Formats: sequence, C-alpha cells, structure tokens
Amino acid sequence: MSEITSPLIHVVDDDAAVRDALALLIGTVGLRVQAWGEPQAFLDGFDREAIGAVVLDVRMPGIGGLAVLDRLQQQGADQPVIVLTGHGTVELCRRAFKSGAAEFLEKPVDDEALLEALQGAVRAHVRSRERQRADRAARERYAQLSEREREVLGLIVAGLTNKEIGRALALSPRTVETHRANLFAKLGAPSLALLIRQYAQLVDDEAAAGGAA
Amino acid sequence: MRRAPIRTVAWALGAAVIAVAGAVLMARADLARQREAFETDARIAHRLLSQRVVQHEAILATLVLLQPGPGDAADRLPSVYPQVLRVLQRERDAAWPDAALAAADARSRQQRRAVLVGDPAGREFAAGRYTVLQAADPMSYALVVDLKALVPRTEWPLPDDGPVRCWLDLDGRAQVLQPGRDGAGGWRFDFAKHLAAESQPFELRASRHVGWAELPWAAMAAWVLAVGGVVAALAAWQGQRSERRRAEELLRLGQIGRLNALGELAAGMAHELNQPLTALLANTRAAQRLLDEDPPDIATARGAMGQAADQARRAAEVVGRLRRTVERPDRGAAAVPVPLLDAARNVLFLLEPECRRRGVEVAWQLPAVPPTVRADPVALEQVVHNLVMNALQAMEQVPVGERRLTLVLGAEGGFGVLRVRDHGPGFGDAVMLRLFEPFFTTREGGLGLGLSLCETLAVGMGGSLTAGRAEPRGAEFRLDLPLAGGAGGAR
Repeated sequence: MSEITSPLIHVVDDDAAVRDALALLIGTVGLRVQAWGEPQAFLDGFDREAIGAVVLDVRMPGIGGLAVLDRLQQQGADQPVIVLTGHGTVELCRRAFKSGAAEFLEKPVDDEALLEALQGAVRAHVRSRERQRADRAARERYAQLSEREREVLGLIVAGLTNKEIGRALALSPRTVETHRANLFAKLGAPSLALLIRQYAQLVDDEAAAGGAA
Repeated sequence: MRRAPIRTVAWALGAAVIAVAGAVLMARADLARQREAFETDARIAHRLLSQRVVQHEAILATLVLLQPGPGDAADRLPSVYPQVLRVLQRERDAAWPDAALAAADARSRQQRRAVLVGDPAGREFAAGRYTVLQAADPMSYALVVDLKALVPRTEWPLPDDGPVRCWLDLDGRAQVLQPGRDGAGGWRFDFAKHLAAESQPFELRASRHVGWAELPWAAMAAWVLAVGGVVAALAAWQGQRSERRRAEELLRLGQIGRLNALGELAAGMAHELNQPLTALLANTRAAQRLLDEDPPDIATARGAMGQAADQARRAAEVVGRLRRTVERPDRGAAAVPVPLLDAARNVLFLLEPECRRRGVEVAWQLPAVPPTVRADPVALEQVVHNLVMNALQAMEQVPVGERRLTLVLGAEGGFGVLRVRDHGPGFGDAVMLRLFEPFFTTREGGLGLGLSLCETLAVGMGGSLTAGRAEPRGAEFRLDLPLAGGAGGAR
C-alpha cells in the first residue's frame, strides 16, 4: 500500500523560483515533493491515495488558492493543506481555516515553521488514514455478526452484565455467554475495553440507522 | 462640464426676464409721465382759452353798459384785443342787417346773456372766425373774433411745432389751433373739455400720439446692459464659487485617492517582493541544511545558493521598477507665476470650516507688496494645505483659547517666503531631525508621508521647506519658492 513509500508533498505555486526553492527545502528533510505550476493541473492529476500534504499559494492566476482549497474539500481529498500567503489578513486567515486549511503561513516563510507544519500534517494524515482503515476493518467484521450477536453487542456496549442481558433478551445466562464468546472471536477483540473502544461508535450508528428505518 | 451650458442658459434666461421686465416698467413710467405732462398742458390751454372767451363776455357786457357810439371806444377795441377783428353794433331803433345777427339778437334777449351768432353752413367758422352777440337797448353789440388770434402765444404751454394736436370743436366742426403730429401704432392720449363760457360753447380737444420711437430707448438699453453686466458678474462669481467647491472636493478626493493608491502600491509591492524573498529564504535555508548533512551535499547546496543570488537580484529589480514608477516628472516644468498670498488664501478658504470647528484663530502678517512666486499652483496649494493641516493637528493638544495659527509672507534673497506658525507644543530635537523622513510620524494613525511629500514638492519647484521653533512655543514651517521674474525665477 501507499504508506510504504515516503509521504508525497505537493507544492502548488505559479512562481517557478518559489516552487523550486520550496521543493528543494522540503526535500532536505527526506520528504518526496511534487511541484505544480498550474492549480488545475494539480487538481486533475495529484495522487489522492498517497499519504502526504499540500503546500498551496493563495495568490495565483486562474483559480486562486482558496478556490483550490474549496474544491479539495468538496472532492473529499483528505490531504492536509498548508496555505501560504504574501499578505495575511485576518479575513483571509478566517476563510482559509473555514475551508479546511490545516495551517496558514505568511511569506517569506520560515523554514522551521514550514517543515514542522508539514511533518505535523503528514503525521496527522497517517493517523487519519489508519483510523479510516481500522474503521473499515471493524465494519467488515461487524457485518459477520448474527442478528442476536449484534443485540448482545449493543447491550454489552451499553454496559449491561451477562445476567442483565439474559433478562433483557429472555435468554439464559449460558446462551448469553456463548454469544459473547462468539462475537469476541468474530470481532477479534482481545479485551472488553478494546471492544467497546472500537465498536461503541459503530453500534450507536447502527442503532440510530435501525431506529430511523 | 455637461451641466455648464444648462447653467449658462438659465442665467441668460433670468437676465433676459429681468431686463425685459425692467425695460417694460421704464416704458410704462415714461408713458405715464408723458400723459401727465400732456394733460397738464391741455388743462393750461383750456384755462387760457376759457379766460379769453370769458373776456369777450366781459367786453360785451361793458359795451352794452356804456353804449358807446360808432367810431368811439368800440373801434379801438381791436387794437387792445388783437383777437377781436371787428365790433358790430345795431344802431338805436335800427335792425341788424343780417338775419343771423337778428336771430341771435332775439336769442340773446330771451336768454339774457351773450350768444354765439348762428353759422349754419360753418363758413365763418371754417374761415377761422366767429361772432358773439349781446342784445341790449338801445344798442346791441357783437364781436367778430379771430380764432387763430385767440391763442395767447406768449402764455401758450404747447410749442407750435410740438407733437400735440389741438383744435376747437363746435357742433362737430373743427378749427385746428395747432396741427401737432399724428402717426400709426404706439399710444394716443386724448383731452376734451368745453370752454367755461356759455356764450361760446366750444370744446377744446387735444390729442397726443406717442410713437414707438419716442420710448426712452437709450435708458432702456442702458438698463438692459446693466442687467446683463450684473448677471454676468453674478454668474461668474457663482461659477468661481462652485469651481472652488469642486476644487475642495477634488482635493479631498485626491487625498483619499492617494491613500488608496498608496495601499494598492504597498500591497503590490508586498507581493512582488515576497515572491523573491520567499524563494531566497527557502534556497538559503535549504543550502544550509544540505551543508549540515553528513556528508554535505555541496553540489545541490551550490545550486541553491545560485538560485538565492538570482532571487536577490529579482527583488532588487522590483525595488528599482517601483522607484521608477513612483518618480514624479519634474515639477518645475509646470511652474507659472502664482501670487503666494492667493495660494495661501485659497487654502485657508478651503480649511475655514476646519479652523472654525477647532476654534483656531488665524492671523496674517503681510508685507506691503506680497510676493509672486514661480510654482506649480496645484503642488503649491498641496504643500500649504499640508502645512496648515499639520499646524491644526498639532494644536489639538492645547486648550481652545490658545490655538493660534499665524501665516507670514515675505521675500528674501530672490525667494518668496511663507511661514506657517502654530501655537502647539512644538518638536523635540530628535523629532526635528527626522521630520521630513518618509513614514516618520508622531501622530497615531498618521502615514508619515505628508511632510516628506511637501519637501519633495518644494524642492521640485526650485525651493525648500524647513522647520523650526516658534516663539514662545510651537512650530514654524518655512516654505521658500523662487520669486517670479526675479533672480530665483531664472534658475
């Protein structure tokens, strides 16, 4: 998968000198850099799967930096975006953050600040991708549970004991114990604490969806 | 500019209305005066004629009373009364030789007064004569009167060749006493009144024709010209006033415009400079990092340093271009002779509301002959405006009663000098040294460009601007500009 390779940073700036200098600087900390002179080319062509981040100039001809930011958000791109500007007004800053910018830096940018922000952004992206993958896995496992096992899981997450669950579902404590063992096995949960942490949200979402349906 | 013709037309219309109305009033007043003069003259004529005819009655009464014989006093009467041509008399117990006289005698007896002898064919009247008769016993008398001589020329109010037509009317027949002049168009005054003697029932008629040519055209033309002149002066004054208001507005707009332009310039400059600076900084920091590596990547670092140098040059070019853009053309080229006092008065006129609002008292110190300098009028007013505004703002810190602004004019060594002296707190030495530096300001929110700009403008016009202390306190700015036509102006 993509995280095996090193993270990919996209530098989007119409000024070749700035673009190249930033690429060189970012390259010195071992990050891969792809430089883009055209905002549209970047939107059309960048690797959405790769782990990484985007360094985006606000003032560009054609599509402005903020418009690019809005497009990325609409398209569900999850790469964190660091916005660079020559003239950082409060209003611009507010709009950038509202459009989902991860960081807002003024030109000429301090190298420490930029590299730190990039590394932070990459770390955050990696974490968010991991969380996504974990969520997807949990969902797949959850799909394997029987109807009864899901009911039992719901009550476990709600904090009920086996005895209480048996009473609530009109089952014997032994039967409850069996279901419990099965669902722990199917979900691959090593402990009750981890089970609750990984699946509580999922159960709530399912219950809400079921209730609504 | 689009509104100017409309305004001109409005002024012209107003002037025309006033001029025409005034001229009509003048014509009417003149006509009224002429009518009054005519009526006065006609009344005098009527009175004189009445006196004459009454005199005839008196003569007849005397003759009847005295009963003089022929060849007696009666024959001498025509020499005393030139209008009496003849005296007729009916001899004792005789009859009048003429039937008309006999009929008149009978009427006179019946009415017991003098009567006019009938003249049915009007022959006598047409010949300019009439006969008046008084019957009595034993002798009756009659006077043959010459109508032409009836008019007492010495006392007659109307000149012979005057415009008034005057005639006596008897039963529709007219005997012209004076022909006067007639004409078509214009106006006509009429007078008609019976003479005050029953025995001679003539009606005095007079008429006066006033033609168009007789109107007081000269006075009316003078009036129209005067109105035109006054309205033109008013229009010019009004135009000047709105011109001034527009100038004031332009000045204000110009200042706002300059601030906006300055903001734009700053934003553009920031972007233009930020790009090379960003690249420069990133390149040098990257080079540092590459050299810090173990082993150092010298080749790449060298490339980065080359890039950095290029970007430094690019930044320098931006600054150079900016300077060339901002540099003004030579102000001296637009220099014309400007009365320094006029320029200062214009500015004070514009700032008069500002002075009043701040309670600042303005004093002038003027030489006998205020200097005229060579300057660009717009730049000069801008400099004076900035200096005065500066003074007003400086005095915000002192109580209202002490806010005094003094403007001193003079000439020294080929230069016209304007001193703007305030009564504010003045400057310290440190401030004094930096006063004309761009972006130096002691005022919160000030740009610090006003005085710097003033100095640039003053120097550009071949003059100078200096600052000093005023006594006992406050600041004094001294603007020197070359005198027009003087040694300074030739530089």
